[in-house]
Amino acid sequence: MKFTVDWLKQYTDFTYTPQELADRLTMAGLEVDAVCEIFAELKDVKVAEILAAHPHPEADRLQVCDVQVGKDAFRIVCGAPNARPGIFVPVALPGVVLPGDFKIKKSKIRGQASDGMLCSAKELGLSKDAEGIMELAGVSTSGQSILEALGLNETLIEVDLTPNRPDCASVIGTAREVAAMSGNPLHLPVTKDTLPILKGSKTFKVSVDDQSLCPRYVARRMTGVTVAPSPWWLQKRLISVGQRPINNVVDATNFVMLEFGQPLHAFDFKKLAKAEIIVRPARKGEKITTLDGQERELDPAMLMICDAEKPVAVAGVMGGGNSEVDDTTTEILLESACFNAVSVRKTARSLNLSTDASYRFERGVDPHLAPVAMERLVQILTDIAGATVEMGGIDLAAGVPSPVEYTLRVSQTNRLLGTDFNAEKISSYLSAIEMTVRQIDADTLGVTPPSFRIDIEREADLIEEVTRLHGYNEIGTTLPVVPMSFAERDAGRSLKKEVADILMANSCYEAINYSFVSPEHADHLGLAGDDERREVVTILNPLTEDQSVMRRSLLPALLENVRRNINHQNGDVRLFEMGKVFIPKGAGKQPHEERRLAVVLSGRRYGQAPALYFEQNATDFADIKGVAFSLLKELRLNQIAFAPDDHHAPYVDSSQALLLTANGETIGQIGRFSKQCLSNFAIKQDVYFIDIDFDALTALKPAPKRFEPLPKYPSVQRDIAILVPVSVAAGEMVATIWDLKDKLVENVELFDVYRGKNIDEGFKSVAISVTYRSQEKTLQEKAVAKVHQRIVDMVMSRFGGRLREV
Amino acid sequence: MPDQMEHALQELKDEAARDLAAIAGADDLEPFRIKYFGRKSPFAQLMRQLGDAPAEDRPRLGQLANELKKELQLHFDEKKALLAHGAGEASDIDLTLPGRMQPQGKLHPVTQIMEEICGIFEGLGFTVAEGPDIETDFYNFEALNIPAHHPARDMHDTFYVDDSILLRTHTSPMQARVMETQKPPLRVIAPGKVYRCDSDITHTPMFHQVEGFLVDTNVSFADLKGVLSVFIAKMFDETTPIRFRPSFFPFTEPSAEVDIGCVMCNSKGCRVCKQTGWLEILGAGMIDPEVFKMVDYDPEIYSGFAFGLGVERIAMLKYGINDIRLYYENDLRFLRQF
Repeated sequence: MKFTVDWLKQYTDFTYTPQELADRLTMAGLEVDAVCEIFAELKDVKVAEILAAHPHPEADRLQVCDVQVGKDAFRIVCGAPNARPGIFVPVALPGVVLPGDFKIKKSKIRGQASDGMLCSAKELGLSKDAEGIMELAGVSTSGQSILEALGLNETLIEVDLTPNRPDCASVIGTAREVAAMSGNPLHLPVTKDTLPILKGSKTFKVSVDDQSLCPRYVARRMTGVTVAPSPWWLQKRLISVGQRPINNVVDATNFVMLEFGQPLHAFDFKKLAKAEIIVRPARKGEKITTLDGQERELDPAMLMICDAEKPVAVAGVMGGGNSEVDDTTTEILLESACFNAVSVRKTARSLNLSTDASYRFERGVDPHLAPVAMERLVQILTDIAGATVEMGGIDLAAGVPSPVEYTLRVSQTNRLLGTDFNAEKISSYLSAIEMTVRQIDADTLGVTPPSFRIDIEREADLIEEVTRLHGYNEIGTTLPVVPMSFAERDAGRSLKKEVADILMANSCYEAINYSFVSPEHADHLGLAGDDERREVVTILNPLTEDQSVMRRSLLPALLENVRRNINHQNGDVRLFEMGKVFIPKGAGKQPHEERRLAVVLSGRRYGQAPALYFEQNATDFADIKGVAFSLLKELRLNQIAFAPDDHHAPYVDSSQALLLTANGETIGQIGRFSKQCLSNFAIKQDVYFIDIDFDALTALKPAPKRFEPLPKYPSVQRDIAILVPVSVAAGEMVATIWDLKDKLVENVELFDVYRGKNIDEGFKSVAISVTYRSQEKTLQEKAVAKVHQRIVDMVMSRFGGRLREV
Repeated sequence: MPDQMEHALQELKDEAARDLAAIAGADDLEPFRIKYFGRKSPFAQLMRQLGDAPAEDRPRLGQLANELKKELQLHFDEKKALLAHGAGEASDIDLTLPGRMQPQGKLHPVTQIMEEICGIFEGLGFTVAEGPDIETDFYNFEALNIPAHHPARDMHDTFYVDDSILLRTHTSPMQARVMETQKPPLRVIAPGKVYRCDSDITHTPMFHQVEGFLVDTNVSFADLKGVLSVFIAKMFDETTPIRFRPSFFPFTEPSAEVDIGCVMCNSKGCRVCKQTGWLEILGAGMIDPEVFKMVDYDPEIYSGFAFGLGVERIAMLKYGINDIRLYYENDLRFLRQF
């Protein structure tokens, strides 16, 4: 909702500065979005008087004009045929920048010097199509700013109107709020008390099929109309709020709509078949070409304004071209009606057509406004279009509801607000905004809201008004007294925090990606055509194609993050994300939302650490395995194991894929992305991942924390270095030693795996360190040697190895 | 005589400690060694004097002298080792080299702010509850007193999955979901992702909200103001100005927008606050009786308030982030800053 301060002052007096006014409106619930000077870009354009216009010696169509701008004289070349001595016109002198970043300079036009430009209304952005230079009627001095001369030096205020205040979708509605603030009276150009009674017409007929869809329809006929451009005062009002003047009839309907909030329409009377208006649903197959030139197919859910033969307007939305007022129109039929909000909304939606009229009807228009706005429109058209109104007219008002009284309890008001207002105070607040209040009993008031407050329909609505009028900031501040209770922590939430802590200690940063992704991800991941992971939740109205399906995996977006970082010269990426993926469960059903955890590692292992101390080797499989192990271990899970992933996903490199298990459950995968997958994501370096079912992880029970006494006796460490065939899995060698379950073995650790120089082809050296300790005594060399020998023998025989001579 | 000797030992100990402390370099070591451990050392003299002491005191005094000598030898050796070590490497240590740090990751700024918000409300006894991102039209709209074809739906640019399933446009559906299954008193906050089909410098199609509500008998608008004032004081500053102003949400009445004094310009007026000196920070209100009716709460018995705030916006204000799109690019140059 836009209006200028000057326009608002037409209806009520106030002394607030524009900023004060804006603040007060905001605090009254009419949030001001912007306060600005209109046409500020024209402030340097001046008024010039043309003293003489000489023909240009070199060009037939040009004239060389001598102009006076205040005390200064200039010579300007002008191409407009209407340039002539004695008129006052806008001039942009050198240095002025016109709308569209058009900078005026001194120039020579066909050999004649020109000191600037005489401007058309189009060049000033005041009109879309005006030809010739703009003639400033009624102006008789030059040198002043064009804004001053046109009365356009005004301040515009734009209000972001909430849906509950349709009454303020008008300058008068806003003025009413301002009047309530200042205590000054509201001056209305037309009031209910002075309206003619419309008892019917002899020249036309109106019928309404369904009064619930059209509670009121007021129509009057005017003759002797001269369609012409509107007078400047009217054009100015429209221009000042960003509307385009069209002609006096159309401009008058728009002006009264902005003024009162009542949408209006003018039909060319002669174009209405049989001089008849029928308000009815569209018939199947009917079409209408609306005023915007679009042909629209209609359906029976849409309410239409029709003549005896055809639809002539979409009710409450837009008029039809077939009954449009044009330059030849001499008789008009004016419509001021009230339409059902939901009906208008549905129609506007299905036609995908939102107008100033539909905006107002959707939110609700006061049915008592229709005859008032009609009277105002008739007055203006009589005044500016030379029109004569026909006596009488039609007002079908059977659908107008009668006023309703609502009860308001003082006790409930105070209970809800934490106040101690008495009935008088509440009553005085409500009376100030034209509500009729009577006391029913000590605690109860009967309140009848004025017809324009169609949003008031309950006690709660009245309490809100009381709060607003008292001032939100004047109400006290207390803390609620609520019985104490334990705020239970969600298990998943606690785990999320723990997981994040562990991963951050592993130098991973948390990422958050959009839940919607590109459908192409499935292809990038190389999923087979019938892969069940291709089944996604699709958004009907996505903003872009690459945000059109809900993600099934966290990995693709993380890969895109990796690529983005690489492209910004940051190839060392360690990211994790915890979030939902969405698995469809059929039409009309909410999908299953599964929480997942994913980690990606790429680039150098210690890329984020000082290069001085850390070897800058590339991340490899052991890094991702280490992060996964560290995560599960720090979460105190048991039986952490990595098993071959025989059915790994197509985007994983077969040689580097493992399943992750803990507490006997498989909870995820780790691996390296396949080269093909990475190339699909335009990544040229290795990327490793962890992909865990976070819901499954949440279900696992961590091991309890139990104290174990510290060892009393020293440990003994013995190393084994064994040459084994390359095919032997070193991890199994360690596992075999553990499996012996010798009670003296405290720890088994792999500390070197080596191939190459001094090692026979086809073999590798595996070095294992075993720590022995007894809980009962200091171990003697003999006892250790015995166990150690047994272990060495067992490992050698089991894996076909031989001791490496150190 | 024994007292004299003990006294002499004590003096010797003090003097030796002083001399030891005075050793500044390797050159000072040898004179110290000769003085205290050489043939003419005070210990040697004391030992000679020991013969004059009464027989019953001799073992004790002898032991004292020996212990002192041992102790001194120990300190001397330490000093020697320290000097040897220091003398060899002192000039090689470049103290200007950077420390050896284990790299650490960080939480996303949105998570950091969300945790901070939740933490404040948890401190006030609120329980955290999370709901589905993909909601039904019923919970997202109908249960919140936003019927089909209500203009308030224009306030939500909704992504639809089908006619009745949509991406939640706010975290408010959790009001209905929680109230449906639990009885007052309730103190709940519901953080989560929300979606609107809107994208420009100040809007991303996905963002995060924290919804909160408190329901009991006799909860008032003044209580709402109290709780939110505490929140803002903790989230920003005890001195941050706050104002409440009328607004409209279909699921609360009275409804309020809460503004804080602009943190960018200290309420002087700037581009961020559109010269008003105020920044809108959250929406709130008393839960509408229609919402209570939907979950079978009697509005004559219960009252409550609800509020919702945008996490990204608060992060922008607290951290001075000026482009909301940065949040979801996961550029490490961005993530490292918080």
